[in-house]
Amino acid sequence: MASVKLTDVKKIYDNKVTAVHDFNLEIADKEFVVFVGPSGCGKSTTLRMIAGLEDISEGIVEIDGVVVNDLQPKDRDIAMVFQNYALYPHMTVYDNIAFSLRLKKMPEDEIYEKVTNAAEILGITEYLTRKPRALSGGQRQRVAIGRAMVRNAKVFLMDEPLSNLDAKLRNQMRAEIILLRQKLDTTFIYVTHDQTEAMTLGDRIVIMRDGIIEQVGTPTEVFEMPRNIFVAEFIGAPKMNMIDTELVKEGDRYFVTPFGAKIEVDGEKRNELIQRGVEAGSIKLGVRPEHIVLSEEGSEAAIPCKLEVNEMMGSELHLHVFTEDGTRLIVRIPTINLTMEQRNALVYGAQLYITFEGKVMHFFDKESELNLIYG
Amino acid sequence: MKQYTDLEYLKLSRGQKLLYKIASFFCSIPQKIKGLFVGLWNLIKNAGKAIGSEAADIWTTFRDGDWKTKLSFFIMGFGNLARGQILRGLLFLLFEVVFIGYMVIAGGYWLSMLPSLGKVGPTEEYNLIYDAYVTTYNDNSFKILLYGVLTIFFIIAFIYTWRVNVKQNKMAEKILKSGKQLRSGKEDLRSLVDDQFHKTLLALPLTGIIVFTVLPIVFMILVAFTNYDGTHDGYYNNLFTWVGLDNFNTMLSWKVGTGAGTQSYAATFGEVLSWTLIWAFFATFTNYFLGMFVAMAINKRGINLKKLWRTILVLTIAIPQFISLLYVSKMFAKNGIVNGFLMSMGWIDQALPFWEDPTWARITVILINIWIGIPYLMLITTGILMNIPQDLYESARIDGANAWQQYTKITLPYMLFVTGPYLLTSFTGNMNNFNVIYLLTGGAPTNPAASSAAGTVGYTDLLITWLFKITTGAESQYYLASVVGILVFIVVALISLVVYNVLPSIKNEEDFQ
Amino acid sequence: MSQAKLLDNKPARHHMGLRTSRLIGNSAIYAFLIIISIIWLIPFVCIVLQSFRVENTHQVGYIIPKKWGFDNYVNLFQTDFPRWYMNTFISALVTAALQTVIVLCMSYTLSRFRFKLRKPLMRLMLILGMFPGMLTMIILYRVLKDLGMTQANSVPGLILVYVASSGMGYYVSKGFFDTIPKSLDEAARVDGATRFQVLKKIILPLSKPIVIYTILTAFMGPWGDFVFARYIAFGTSAGMNVAVGLYNWLNKDQISKCYTMFCAGGVLVAVPVTVLFMCLQRYYVEGVTGGAVKG
Repeated sequence: MASVKLTDVKKIYDNKVTAVHDFNLEIADKEFVVFVGPSGCGKSTTLRMIAGLEDISEGIVEIDGVVVNDLQPKDRDIAMVFQNYALYPHMTVYDNIAFSLRLKKMPEDEIYEKVTNAAEILGITEYLTRKPRALSGGQRQRVAIGRAMVRNAKVFLMDEPLSNLDAKLRNQMRAEIILLRQKLDTTFIYVTHDQTEAMTLGDRIVIMRDGIIEQVGTPTEVFEMPRNIFVAEFIGAPKMNMIDTELVKEGDRYFVTPFGAKIEVDGEKRNELIQRGVEAGSIKLGVRPEHIVLSEEGSEAAIPCKLEVNEMMGSELHLHVFTEDGTRLIVRIPTINLTMEQRNALVYGAQLYITFEGKVMHFFDKESELNLIYG
Repeated sequence: MKQYTDLEYLKLSRGQKLLYKIASFFCSIPQKIKGLFVGLWNLIKNAGKAIGSEAADIWTTFRDGDWKTKLSFFIMGFGNLARGQILRGLLFLLFEVVFIGYMVIAGGYWLSMLPSLGKVGPTEEYNLIYDAYVTTYNDNSFKILLYGVLTIFFIIAFIYTWRVNVKQNKMAEKILKSGKQLRSGKEDLRSLVDDQFHKTLLALPLTGIIVFTVLPIVFMILVAFTNYDGTHDGYYNNLFTWVGLDNFNTMLSWKVGTGAGTQSYAATFGEVLSWTLIWAFFATFTNYFLGMFVAMAINKRGINLKKLWRTILVLTIAIPQFISLLYVSKMFAKNGIVNGFLMSMGWIDQALPFWEDPTWARITVILINIWIGIPYLMLITTGILMNIPQDLYESARIDGANAWQQYTKITLPYMLFVTGPYLLTSFTGNMNNFNVIYLLTGGAPTNPAASSAAGTVGYTDLLITWLFKITTGAESQYYLASVVGILVFIVVALISLVVYNVLPSIKNEEDFQ
Repeated sequence: MSQAKLLDNKPARHHMGLRTSRLIGNSAIYAFLIIISIIWLIPFVCIVLQSFRVENTHQVGYIIPKKWGFDNYVNLFQTDFPRWYMNTFISALVTAALQTVIVLCMSYTLSRFRFKLRKPLMRLMLILGMFPGMLTMIILYRVLKDLGMTQANSVPGLILVYVASSGMGYYVSKGFFDTIPKSLDEAARVDGATRFQVLKKIILPLSKPIVIYTILTAFMGPWGDFVFARYIAFGTSAGMNVAVGLYNWLNKDQISKCYTMFCAGGVLVAVPVTVLFMCLQRYYVEGVTGGAVKG
């Protein structure tokens, strides 16, 4: 249980490639922080620098107020779960979990207690005498977590622990990690490329790209107030629609004019635009697929488009449509609001009219890609 | 030359593609040579820069350092001692004391003698007591050269250690200034099994390599510039001394004579080198393709007793080579079993000259080498063949490829890609394949024109066996052997350099991890 | 299996054609395998038969002895052969032990540690390997002679020469270590292990095949070494190893007296080494197949 603080941390490889630029972050005690981003964004490298598996080129890493830059991993009091589990193949599950305790020269009966305890929590008691290769992927994952659990380490590091599991198991383990977190009550740093994992697990999410932090915030913050287009598109699935359009100001009222339609910005968004003093002009307009609804011909706010693909997802439909100028948009429609007749009409080439409300819009600068309100 | 884009290139016919490749290869040669020189120039420039920055760093360390640091420039380890790192300080100090002591007692002498390699040879004097001439042995050129080189190694090591000593002072000052603690001796020792564990692990192997490989190689390279041989052994007979590039002149100058032993060394070298290359080529590729063929035959679906066939072949690896090679060599002798068998069957009435005729002998060593080499290649290729994804073959079969097409389009490219580096090492290994040639033929049959007092030369002699014969020949011309050795190195290095740059599978080694 | 079933469902004519062509193909391969097996075995059969031939001691043109007996083996013990055998055996044993340690140290370090001099070191060793190692014997012989490790005392000298530079033969075992995932090391280090403990508790237990391979090749090396052993023994019979000793028996002057004895000696050398090799063949195969690819 400890805080972690990174100050101006940099990773520069021998070939002068900078993997992580000036990383600044304070992680509070018992916080669950998720590093998320596309592959190669430096999230794993940052985690490995905290673990001591990579040299820190510049900057300071502190755990519990102690600078750990020059400490070996074994002296940092951390536990880590690896993507490929990294179970010792020549040891039984019991020995795997007991390994770190034996290195600490803990008495065997104490080890026994701790290991069986952890095994029980994770439901792997019956496999304790097996070797890792006789286990399934999910069971191996549990052993890896068990191995980290018994350490009672200050910080719990997880490097894409679920990415080698199939989709079903991943959902299940995700829930278990939340439970585990409540039981262990320690500081977690979790690396993933999957935004769903990040949203469901993290107290705070650190979104990274090309070695730079794009945004740090709670799941709600990064979802509702993305700092720039990258974050907006990365968080949420299917990703946010981006529309080139004009922001028009008529007195105190703001309008957007996507594809010839005219939609007023209302509610909080309007107040915020006024507050920030945003000028009229060309912008990128972001609208999440679930915020687009089907509309009727003739309305001023209706955008005409043609249906290209209709993906039936069960409780909802993902409609891929293209507007008159060829822009492709994705629309999420809950099936519950549609009659069977309406659903049957949604075939290739069908003429649709879509629209969205003013309060769901996100406005981005065309050049800097920053959010005009929160950027 | 016209450059094609990728898509244009794809449109070309097969012949055109080949021509284009060859043309672009030749067109790229000037570029590559230029690149080589640019690379060399950059290397020199960077080395100069590095030395410059080192010197600057040393100077600033001295200028900005406190008195402990300043004193450490002269008394190594003083800074460590003064700052409480007793163990490190003592080791530095000890090294300096040992070094100075050695230089005063012995190193200085060896170094001073190095330019002359000894002044006074063995002298004979009439001794009244024994009533006989007694030889007094004086300077020892061999030792002077050896210890001279050793002393230079030692000096380099000292300079390096001194530099480390200076660096450590700078580091220590910095650490103390930032309010942190220095490592204690105990921590230093502990780090030797942890973050500095590689130094512990490498200490023994590297010492061995430096003393038993690097030092001898440097020594032998230097011998090429002396007249060290049987009559100038540097102690018992005559001293040996520096002769500059004379030996290279002897080896590379081309005067053609007639009759035994009058051929120039250059001619002999050319002959031996060309046979060495021919041999290496055939030895490598016959083994490679036949070994692969045998492996594929054994692994074919529907062939039983796979293990038996493999074991029979592997027997040649298990049995020490000198036994099998010597025995097989005698089997092919004039009165050996092979000739005996052929004659008793009435197929020949005169013994075949397996070892007596140059061409026969050369073909026979290549054939016997196949016998030696196939099992090894069979093992290697079996492993790789099994790694080729089966779906490649399945998809090829569905695309309509027959067995031969499957081999040339899938198996062979895959094998060549994976075994590229192996083929290269195998080629250079065969160039230096002493055992097979020496134990089979000993270089015979003799090539009278090329043989001389420096040693006999035969038609199957490789550079390496020739070299061996020079050193063990009547005159023990070590300097000549050394020259040949250097030339062998140059040939091998050139081949490796060229092939390494052409091979596709020399990628970043980390790709495998 | 499934393929065979598929074929069975095809029309009869086609079915026969495929089957016969496969039959012919396989018979040809069997014939080929039998022929090469004979070629590969003949020398070994011959040497064993000749070692029991007692009607004369020189080379003959037939294979089956006219008179059988153990004379050649008995005579071996009146020569220096037992001494040579012991020389070789001891140096092989010690070399196997020391060389294995050195090679594993070297290859493990190069596989696992990333230090500044790693690449230059590997390049240096590659370049050193291009020099004909034989040249260095000239100087090593004289140095060892000064140290009293040549001629009759050749065994320590031989061991020193075999072991000292063996770090350069790290390729195969480095290739093996490279296949052990690095995350195992990392997991262990996070778990609190020092680098030494990682090696002892994680890597070595997983490296049994390569350890055995290294021991085996290191042990077999001295049995076949001819060049260095000949240099260091320098004509002194008591300091020779089997290769040098037996080689001398095939000299022009000796071959008529010693040919059958050479065969007997060869058999005595080959049998234990071969048996050992065959027992550990699995590891050897793993080593060469893995090592050759990784280079």
